[in-house]
Amino acid sequence: MLIPPEELLDGAVATLLEAVLPALGTRFARSQLYAVVDVLRNLRDRVEPRCAGLAAEAASAEAALRRAAEALRPTAPAAAESLSRALDALPTAPIAARLEALGPALVAAFETLESLPPAAAEAAVLARSALAGHLAAQALRDLAPLKPSLLAEISRG
Amino acid sequence: MTDDELRQRLERFLASRLPEAESLAVTRLERSTEGFSQETFSFEVELARGGRRETRGYVAKREPEAGLLEPYDLEPEFRVLHALSDDPLPSPPTPWFERDPAVLARPFYVMERLPGEVPIPAARPDGSGPFDEGERRSLGPEVARALARLHAVSLARPDLGFLERPEPGRAAALREVARWSERVARSRLPVPPVLAEALAWLRRHAPATDEITLVHGDYRLGNFLVIREGGEAHLSGILDWEMVHLGDPLEDVGWCTSLLWRAGTPYASALLPTEEFAKLYSEASGRSVDPERLRYYELLAVVKMAAIMLTGIRAFRDGRTRDLRMAIFDHQLPFLLAGVAALRGWLPGA
Repeated sequence: MLIPPEELLDGAVATLLEAVLPALGTRFARSQLYAVVDVLRNLRDRVEPRCAGLAAEAASAEAALRRAAEALRPTAPAAAESLSRALDALPTAPIAARLEALGPALVAAFETLESLPPAAAEAAVLARSALAGHLAAQALRDLAPLKPSLLAEISRG
Repeated sequence: MTDDELRQRLERFLASRLPEAESLAVTRLERSTEGFSQETFSFEVELARGGRRETRGYVAKREPEAGLLEPYDLEPEFRVLHALSDDPLPSPPTPWFERDPAVLARPFYVMERLPGEVPIPAARPDGSGPFDEGERRSLGPEVARALARLHAVSLARPDLGFLERPEPGRAAALREVARWSERVARSRLPVPPVLAEALAWLRRHAPATDEITLVHGDYRLGNFLVIREGGEAHLSGILDWEMVHLGDPLEDVGWCTSLLWRAGTPYASALLPTEEFAKLYSEASGRSVDPERLRYYELLAVVKMAAIMLTGIRAFRDGRTRDLRMAIFDHQLPFLLAGVAALRGWLPGA
């Protein structure tokens, strides 16, 4: 997720007060809206990302990068070393910072694969497959907690 | 600006553009909730001229304070719509553009309101797509043929001469990849690795084309005006030309058939199977639709939408918009990234 929970809640509160409140026509609706704002404001500092999920995600990304490095080592040792060094340079804690740094490391790994000579093509395929396997699984894990979209209702207004 | 103030300003503007009107009043002014980008106002103008009274429907599109396609410049879109106003293509005749901020605070243009409604581009509550079988069967071919007509617009006409024309070859595709890469970078958000890899792949595999045509850039279900009657549906308008440019015509086909607009169905824009849509387009345009090139543009479509969502998320995070629809893109983006993974062959089911 690219919007931190506290920013999301602040934005929701601002929208309710600035855009929704002026359009409400009854005292009951306004009082309910203020109650929602009260709930959101107090929720703001109690929401934290689930650390267990972050740790598992980081471990999966790290394992994929290590598998990619191992695949490259026989024919492209410099590239393998580059991936390993990137892993070693990652912050170990907090886990959110480690996970955040793993994203650019994965992007850099793909860029490294792009620059390999034809002689390392087979190893590059294996390395790419390791990275892609992680990203595909991550894509599915990211979908799992999402609720059904209300886009149709949002469009209808 | 209140709705009443907006109405009065529109009246002053229209009076200046319709000097022959003896009296003029803006009525039934409504802000649209459908668009995610430009602000849209629908209204009627009751005017008297030459002793006769008439009512005309118009739509004004105004540059938003923050939006999905920033930075904004409405003028190219206006110039294309204005140029096409007398074309058989059902684009809305668009007579006026105004840049002066004294009029409506931000640039806007006014087009005539066409008949029909924009279908809600989502599955119905029972999970079925937005069209019945008869509606799909009647509307689908019209949509494919209208796209072929759009791509047949002559680029020799001087009023379209301002559009930048890519060289034949890979330039058209590469320019689009560069355009959307730049938007991703401009969002200053962490680039999801799936998206970064897809952009690199698109750069490496940019297809060549000898044909450069007008490209709508957003030709899809939510931008069609449709008239439904007698169990059929017919295309009455093609809207939202804000991404119009010159390029590879298959870019529009790929956008239209991409997984973005299926609305719970397996069909391109919830209308027809992709192969059938491509065949109808091919017959109408006389242009072959290479499946591999189409696949390329379907991936570009999802990447492009991801870039648009990142732009919206950035606007929300910067506090430049209070539109919470920008925030919910944070919950939509994972679906797009899974779609990218599927189109890259990393997940089943693209």
